[in-house]
This record gives sequence, structure tokens and C-alpha cells, in this order.
Amino acid sequence: MLLSLYRIIKFSFQDIARNVWLSLATITILLLALFSINTLLTVRMISDSATTAVKEKIDISLYLKSETPEADILALKDRISGMERVREVVYVSKQSALESFREKYKNNQAVLSALKELGRNPLSPSLTIIPASFEESALLINELRVLDSPIIESRDFTDNTSILGKIGAITKRINEAGLFMISIFILTSLLVVYNAIRVAIYTHRQEIEIMRLVGASNFFIYMPYVFSAFIYSLLSVLIIIALFYPFLTLLQPYLEVFFTGYNVNIVSYFLSNFWAIFGLQFLAILAINILASLAAVRKYARV
Amino acid sequence: MINISHATKVYHNKVKVLNDVSLEIEAGEFVSVVGQSGAGKTTLVKVLIGEERLDQGSVVVGGWDITRLHRREVPFLRRQIGVIFQDFKLLPKKTLWENVAFALEVCGSQPEKIRKIVPSVLKIVGLEGKEDRYPHEVSGGEKQRAAIARALVHQPKILLADEPTGNLDAINANEIIDLLLRINKFGTTVILVTHNKEIVNHLSRRVVTMDHGKVISDQEKGRYLL
Repeated sequence: MLLSLYRIIKFSFQDIARNVWLSLATITILLLALFSINTLLTVRMISDSATTAVKEKIDISLYLKSETPEADILALKDRISGMERVREVVYVSKQSALESFREKYKNNQAVLSALKELGRNPLSPSLTIIPASFEESALLINELRVLDSPIIESRDFTDNTSILGKIGAITKRINEAGLFMISIFILTSLLVVYNAIRVAIYTHRQEIEIMRLVGASNFFIYMPYVFSAFIYSLLSVLIIIALFYPFLTLLQPYLEVFFTGYNVNIVSYFLSNFWAIFGLQFLAILAINILASLAAVRKYARV
Repeated sequence: MINISHATKVYHNKVKVLNDVSLEIEAGEFVSVVGQSGAGKTTLVKVLIGEERLDQGSVVVGGWDITRLHRREVPFLRRQIGVIFQDFKLLPKKTLWENVAFALEVCGSQPEKIRKIVPSVLKIVGLEGKEDRYPHEVSGGEKQRAAIARALVHQPKILLADEPTGNLDAINANEIIDLLLRINKFGTTVILVTHNKEIVNHLSRRVVTMDHGKVISDQEKGRYLL
């Protein structure tokens, strides 16, 4: 058995090396298929991260009356924190609001001069409410609309409501279109791979015929091609990993600029999901390779 | 050694490529099977190596009824019957040594046995010193010699030669026939399928003539009739 295994591996490597151009062409097709799938995965990951980041940035502000004692504000904060659909409530005091304002307009002398001219802090304290989940934001807004408290000066919901609606619709469309696109891409790639392997084995049809004429058992006829399929799959996945990480590293700075203030890290996404992404790709490409090899060899190995 | 009884093979277009063929070949015989294209010679070879199945009749080789051979048994049959073809059927990406060794490797032969047998059969066919060449690096005659060497590695009792000289010039063709005669002298039954009139007449051995799927003549020291 060990001798047979050794010979199968030897025949397979001999075949790959002595048909080097065919082997390279086959691996290139596998690489193109894998690159397409990974590129689509990257696009989907970016769109997912972007929508998640935007969703996380959704907050609702309650502006409070300027002279409200801090104890009343903290009491209201606790009351809101206790609500089911609230993840966090952040109290922004008059002083912190002023500091944020100054930081935001530090390069705008006109605004800063106007503030100085005013001679006092014109900003109100506020409570920033972060919803527990994006999907329940609308319900939370409804609850906050009817929240009764004498210290509330104004409620800033209007823009959020329309943004929430738009993001919800965009996310839904991206998910639907993305799923459709990925399915089409994967199907196309797998068909291309399937046919590439069949063509590669078609060029070996005479060899297969000779193998059976000299009395090779099916095991000896099929297994070198199955092993070659394994080698092609392994090599193509290893090469795509070697190519894709530098590509992602190059892409990352552009993403950081584009998504300033949001946590979108494509490299760490691929690293943390390494086995799920590349392990599954290897198994899928291996399965399709073996399937194509068996089907093609079977055609020419008929007794 | 070989007993073919009422062998009939019909293809889908209702043409009888073998029509009630009965033939008995003794061990150690040298038989030429002749006939024009479409006479059924190659089909007969295919039946003998288990590539085609008969619709009627039976074939017994060395006491083994191969008429209804199971697919799994075909490789074992092919290890016992050496076959050579007009187009040599060598693996183009393997050297002559590897081509010959391949027939042993696929049967699970031990490396020591392979190292012993392959050089000896290459010597018998006169290919010493050319073991490391690829098929495209040698002449047609040498390719056919390599194919004969491969057919001999299992020390078969029967050697089927299907138009072995068809792609060779007269000199190489005669050398191959001489080689087949030498192999026959060692006791191997040789069945030579050919339509080369000169070779058959020169051999002066048993000649079975086929036409339209039938055996029309079987002469002990025959000549090419058609």
C-alpha cells in the first residue's frame, strides 16, 4: 500500500513537472477564480463594515435646559439607561460641549472669535443615547419622543429617522445584490475550474488509454490525477494567500482615508477569519477539482 | 491456449464485425491474422484483451473464460497478454525505461524486481543505452521495440501484435518481425494481425484470413490470399 501511494505521488509530480505549461495554465485559472472570489469577498466585507460602522455612529441627542442641576441630569440619565432599547447614555456637560466645540473649530478663527465675543458658554448640556441595536432605533426614538421631563429643552431625532430608513434600505439592497453577485461569481468560477481540469485531463486521454492497456487498475489510473488535483488546489490557495495579503495591505491605507473615524480594517478581518475564508476556499476548490478529475478520467478510462 | 467459439459481435449499426468466428490456437504457435480493413481483425484483438464484449459465443484464454469478464478482472487479463499496436502507444512524457517499468509499477511489483526485469527486456529488444530517451527522441522501429519490451515484462504466454509494422519502413518492419519470431522461439504464442502481404508470405507460418467478420481460410503454412 505504501509502495502504491509512493508511486501515485511520484507519477503525479512527474506529470505536473513534465507538463509544466499545462500545470501552470491550470493553476493560473484556479488563481483567477480564487482572486475573483476574494475580491468580491473584500468588496462585501468593506460594504458590511461601512454600514455597520455607520449604524454604530447613529446616536440620539436630548438637549437639556442650560441651568439644570447636575443631579437632575444624572437622574434622567439613569432613567434612560434603564430603558430596554438603550445600550449607553453619555452625559455631555456644558463644559465638555464647549471643549468639543473649540476642538472642532480650532482652525476657524471667525467662530472662535465670535465665541470669545459672547463671553459665556452658550452651549447646553446634553445626553447622547446610543441604541442597543440599529434595528430598534426607530422604536427607541418613539419612546424618547414621549419621554416626559421638565429639563429637556429639545430633542434631535428628525435627521436620524431619515438616515435610519436610508441605511436600512441600502443595507438590505447590498445584502440581496451581494448574495446574488457572490452566487453568480462562485458558480462561474467553479464552472471555469471544472472545465479547466477537464481540458487538462483531456490532453492526457491517450495516457489514460495506455495505462489501462498495460493493466493498470482503476486505483492507479485515477489516483495520480486526484493527487494532482490536491496539489493544484493547495498551490493555488497558497499563492492566492501570498498575493492577497500584500494587496490588502496596500488597500488598507486607502480604506482608512475613505472611512476616517470608522474602524474598517480589511487585513485584520482576513487574518481573524483566515481558516474560515481560505480553508473553505481550499476545500471547495479541492472538491470541484477532484470531481472534475474523476468525471474526466472516468470518460477515458472506460474498459 | 486460446479457444474462440462462435464469436459474434454486432455494432449499433447492425454490422456484424465478427460473424460466428471459431478459432483454436495452440500454445507456442505463431499465427498471422490477415484481412482487409474492416475484416474484423482488430475487433478480435479487442475481444482478446477484454476491450470489447461478444454478443454471442465464447473466448477462453489459458483455461480462463473471458467472455463475460467483470470490469475489475480486465487489468489482470491485460497483465497476462502482451499487446503491441501500430501506433506504439507509449507514454510520451516518460522515458523508454519508465514506459517499460510503468507496466510493472502499476501491478505493484517491487522495485528490485523492476530493476532486474526492465534492463533485461530492453536488452532482448536491443534498446540498451537508449533507456533514458523519450519516445519522441527515438525512431519508429525503436518505439515499437520499446512497446514490445513493455509487453514482455509480465512474461506473457500470449503476445498480440496489432499491425505492429504499419508505421515502419521495410527494414524496421523486418527487424520487428524477427524480434517477434525470437520471442515465439522462447515459447510465447504470437498472434500477428497484419495486412502486409510480403511479411505474411515470408513467414510461412499459420495464416488465418478474415473477411467481413468471418474466417474464410485457416492454413497451416499459409500465404496471403486476398
